Amino acid sequence: MLSSLPIAFSAPLALAALALLPALWLILRVTPPRPRRIDFPPLKIMADLIAKREMPAHTPWWLLALRMAVAALAILAVAGPVWNPPREAGPMRGPMLLLIDNGFGAATDWPERQAISESRLAAAAREGRPVAIVGLAEASGEIALSEPRAALDRLRALALQPHAPDRSAHLQRIEAFLRSAPEAETVWVSDGLSIADDGPFLARLKQEADARRLSIHAGSPSQLALTSPENLAGALAVKVLRPTSAATATGHVRALDLKGLPLGDAPFIFNGSDLQASARLTLPIEVRNAVSRLEIVGERSAAAVALLDDRAKRRRVGIVSGTTTDTAQPLLSPTYYVSRALSPFAEIREPRPGSTDPIGELLAQNLSVLVLADIGALDGDTVGKINSFIQRGGVLLRFAGARLAAAADDLTPVRLRRGGRTLGGGLSWETPRKLAPFTRESPFFGIAINDDVRVSRQILAEPEADLAKKTWAALEDGTPVVTGERRGDGMIAMMHVTADTTWSNLPLSGLFVDMLRKVVSLAGTGPSEAQGEDARVDTLSPTRVLDGHGAFRSPPATAQPVARTFSGRATLAHPPGIYGPADGSLAVNALNPADSLKAIDLAALGAPILPVDKPVAFDIRPQLLVLALLCLIADTLATLWLGGRLNIARRAGRAAPAAILLALVLVGAATPEMARAQAAPTGAADDRPPIPRELFAAGAVTRLAYVVTGDKAVDDMSKAGLAGLNVVLGARTALEPGEAVGVNADRDELAFFPVLYWPIVAGRPIPAPETLRKLEAYMKGGGLVIFDTRDAMSARPGGGTTPEGEQLRRMLQTLDIPELEPLPRDHVLTKTFYILDGFVGRYDTGTTWVEILPPAGEDGRRPARAGDNVSPIVITSNDLASAWAVGRRGEGLVPLSGSDPRQREMALRAGVNLVMYALTGNYKADQVHVPALLERLGQ
Amino acid sequence: MLRMRVLGTSERQPARPVLTASLDLAARLPRLILEARRVSASVHGIHGRRRAGPGETFWQYRPLVTGESASRIDWRRSARDGHLFVREREWEASHAIWLWIDRSASMGFASSLALASKVDRALIAGFALAETLVEGGERVGHLGLTRALASRRIVETLAQAILVDAKGAEADLPPDAPLPRLADAIIITDGLSPAASLAKRIATMASSGARGHVLLIADPIEETFPFTGQAELFDLEDGLSLRVGDAGSWGLEYRQRLEAHRDAIKEACRKVGWTLTLHRTDRPASEGVLRIASLIAASRGPGR
Repeated sequence: MLSSLPIAFSAPLALAALALLPALWLILRVTPPRPRRIDFPPLKIMADLIAKREMPAHTPWWLLALRMAVAALAILAVAGPVWNPPREAGPMRGPMLLLIDNGFGAATDWPERQAISESRLAAAAREGRPVAIVGLAEASGEIALSEPRAALDRLRALALQPHAPDRSAHLQRIEAFLRSAPEAETVWVSDGLSIADDGPFLARLKQEADARRLSIHAGSPSQLALTSPENLAGALAVKVLRPTSAATATGHVRALDLKGLPLGDAPFIFNGSDLQASARLTLPIEVRNAVSRLEIVGERSAAAVALLDDRAKRRRVGIVSGTTTDTAQPLLSPTYYVSRALSPFAEIREPRPGSTDPIGELLAQNLSVLVLADIGALDGDTVGKINSFIQRGGVLLRFAGARLAAAADDLTPVRLRRGGRTLGGGLSWETPRKLAPFTRESPFFGIAINDDVRVSRQILAEPEADLAKKTWAALEDGTPVVTGERRGDGMIAMMHVTADTTWSNLPLSGLFVDMLRKVVSLAGTGPSEAQGEDARVDTLSPTRVLDGHGAFRSPPATAQPVARTFSGRATLAHPPGIYGPADGSLAVNALNPADSLKAIDLAALGAPILPVDKPVAFDIRPQLLVLALLCLIADTLATLWLGGRLNIARRAGRAAPAAILLALVLVGAATPEMARAQAAPTGAADDRPPIPRELFAAGAVTRLAYVVTGDKAVDDMSKAGLAGLNVVLGARTALEPGEAVGVNADRDELAFFPVLYWPIVAGRPIPAPETLRKLEAYMKGGGLVIFDTRDAMSARPGGGTTPEGEQLRRMLQTLDIPELEPLPRDHVLTKTFYILDGFVGRYDTGTTWVEILPPAGEDGRRPARAGDNVSPIVITSNDLASAWAVGRRGEGLVPLSGSDPRQREMALRAGVNLVMYALTGNYKADQVHVPALLERLGQ
Repeated sequence: MLRMRVLGTSERQPARPVLTASLDLAARLPRLILEARRVSASVHGIHGRRRAGPGETFWQYRPLVTGESASRIDWRRSARDGHLFVREREWEASHAIWLWIDRSASMGFASSLALASKVDRALIAGFALAETLVEGGERVGHLGLTRALASRRIVETLAQAILVDAKGAEADLPPDAPLPRLADAIIITDGLSPAASLAKRIATMASSGARGHVLLIADPIEETFPFTGQAELFDLEDGLSLRVGDAGSWGLEYRQRLEAHRDAIKEACRKVGWTLTLHRTDRPASEGVLRIASLIAASRGPGR
């Protein structure tokens, strides 16, 4: 019944309990009990919250669903569910042959392939079947059955190889194994790619499939590959291959140098269903020559890496022709064919037209190859330059021609005979000759001969003893057509025909291109590079090889040296990598230029194709139980939330009125009246308008000021107190202050007042930071602030801070105030008008704090300070204003706490002193020293 | 198990036991406070009107006190000799104490924790204060019902006025009219109307400088909300109902809300210099009344 789903149950009977779920639904759906009725008058003040507080009569459906899900999950878990249950594999009782493609094609999902192989091994182990493992990219060997556990070790030791699997090589052994164990089940973990010829292998597997003893694990091959990197004129080109049109269509190819530093990127795009695309890296030639590795970004496989060796480096070739340059008829120019043939793989330099020293000019350009097409006589200086060029490793390629035939210099590999040889001419019996195949000694060995090439005229070499050795190419009759000789680090090559088509049709053939390419590749990239004469026939041992994922590693023990002429695809013996020394290296790549990635048509085999990346037989009981537990937790949280025990909804409910208030304020701000109303500080109890400036201008009277706190009782007391102090000041001192004013510290200008009386009321809002900054400026500008906490009565020595004290502390936290000290006995404040012992107010127990005085110097003087030495702040707790406050008839408003009957008088004197202190500064401080001054005056 | 009792409109009227209880309470209140106030504040007689203050008729000349505004100098009198004099007039403002007792539906509530219903307690407190103040020489009236009287039968007068006032049994806010500047207001209510509207009324009443005292009557369960579990709450005035899933947690929120509500009323009072007294019905009535009486005495202190 569940066969369509990849799930099975070990105890399916438990599923019958699912039928009980509807009953559970009914039980869970019981209506909550009717709440008790409470008559509650204060509900009205909660009226705005009522709408959000409705308690549902029934359990909400989602909670029900959650609980049902918990029950269902629990039942499912009890039933023992298994995800991806093992498929019924039929009567497979025999041994298992596990064929694993471990070539580069498996690189993308190698861990999954190993996992699937392991799970097959584990299944075999459960069934007690012996197993044989064959890595198809490994060397073919005897296939032996082993215990699954031992096979598991072998499997884990199986490494990903960087080359294509040679499946047919294993065919014989597989045949032998299957003959000995005809019951064996064959499992092929296939990469789905075919590089080599896999026909016999597939045919043999088809037999097994027909006998229903084959199963294949394969995914859709998506491996991209690089092949045939070419250093073209102007760009580095590389072909990108993909096995199917379903694989990735775009990507980037990255070029890296020998050290792995990236040099450039190029995109590639597969058009439509093309299986081949190309990427072109447009880089300067020097950079291109430094490229040693191309890779597809994001692909981790040996096939996605193309290595470049010295052969791929572009040489700079200078071409000089002895003939006049006739640009009108380029096909007649000898240099035309040469430059066309060389341009795909070399950079062509030609002398400037009209140059007086064309050869010298070209040699100065750091050439690798110098081509002289039919150059006759050379002056001694030029010969010297050419010689030194050759000695330093340059290659000189000469073409014959009418002039050369007449010339005589030693810049030829062989001595030349005067006069040419004409074949197939009107006076000759002989027909134009074909080329003979290249001998093994020739650098051209391996290049196919083009039968169409005919040589009708040539310059002959003088017969010499070593002529055969110097001959690189010859005609059928043995006369040399191309000769070459090493000189110093360089080489001289000689074409005994012209560079144009007058003597032969060689320049028209592809052979010409191949030959020139070979000659150019003989040259080092620079003249200084050396190349041993016998290196041609030498073998090169691997230096650095790729692993299956395309990373460099040191060569494994199985890697063997390759011949310098090696041009095949990488194998187990010759893994892809760099072979030979750095200056004469050979790159072996995983794919040949001619290779393409072909997807094997696995469906044609008729065997079941299983995925690679799916785990087998996965018990999901723990997951179900965890899920059920999570649902239970969610249910608990939901229940708590519904029961109002979670705070989320409550916070939201509390935020809502604030949001409404904000919205109202915003809407209100649109109307001018409201805007004006809002300009006045809300919240603060003071609704009086700001003190008009004209009041000050008209008055210009010294006034005392108190800060309006918003508490009417306190403000009235401050006002009455300052009024009382005003009376005393007017009666006793020269100062006749104006009527005291209450100021709002938030918005009123403070600068007009020498003294600011600030009673502290607990619970009032802390002044805004701007207010505090203003207050700071006021204090620094010479103002005196009297903070009065009025709590000396309630404060206990050693006891906790009073609310007022706490309030003051919070206020002063962000206020920049100087260090304070209790009022010293000899402080100026005690002498400014009256000589006082202490500063009493309504209470006489509080301490008065003032700014600490700087320590006196050695001469007893105190250093001068800003603000005329006036402490900008006085903090008291004695409730000064209450002591100063007088009623209409001059009577004291509040009783004082102390025992001293003169306490009110002393409080008023303290007030007088404070005002005098604020107004006169350190004037009285000087008076302290009057005796000393008088003494000095007397002298 | 807590029980609640809700009183109907007829039960929210002052009955004979209320009058008796209030007179008893008033009898027990210490006179000393008011006596002391009277002695200190009014030298010339039973009402302290015969003294300088705002008024029409001349009262006295007195020497100018230094620091006083020069505009107060009576130059005609001062010109006679070298001293500066200020002319003072007799204080003629009427001075009354205005009572307002909340008798709305929400006041008709008593839980089993309380000694009396809120409205009973409010009436007793109000009448007792009226009686005491009249005995102390003040004139007392009920806002919107009577004028300020110094009658010896003030309690009966007030009770009769309240009995015939059917409309007042629904109002849960005092009348929206300013009081004379020198009047005192005593507002006895449970304060269970929106704080903003109550604050507005207080501000209006105090707009011309009247002093006031608010006595908040609260039932203990209104303070504590000692319920748990599911509950359905009913409001007595607006017919609101609320089903709460968990009264315990709701109560937490309620108490915070109530605190904020009280703070708002307190702030409104403080803004105008009024006092606020909270009185719970599980406490004896004398507590609240005594406090209000002493507050009135204190506010009539020097300076007025």
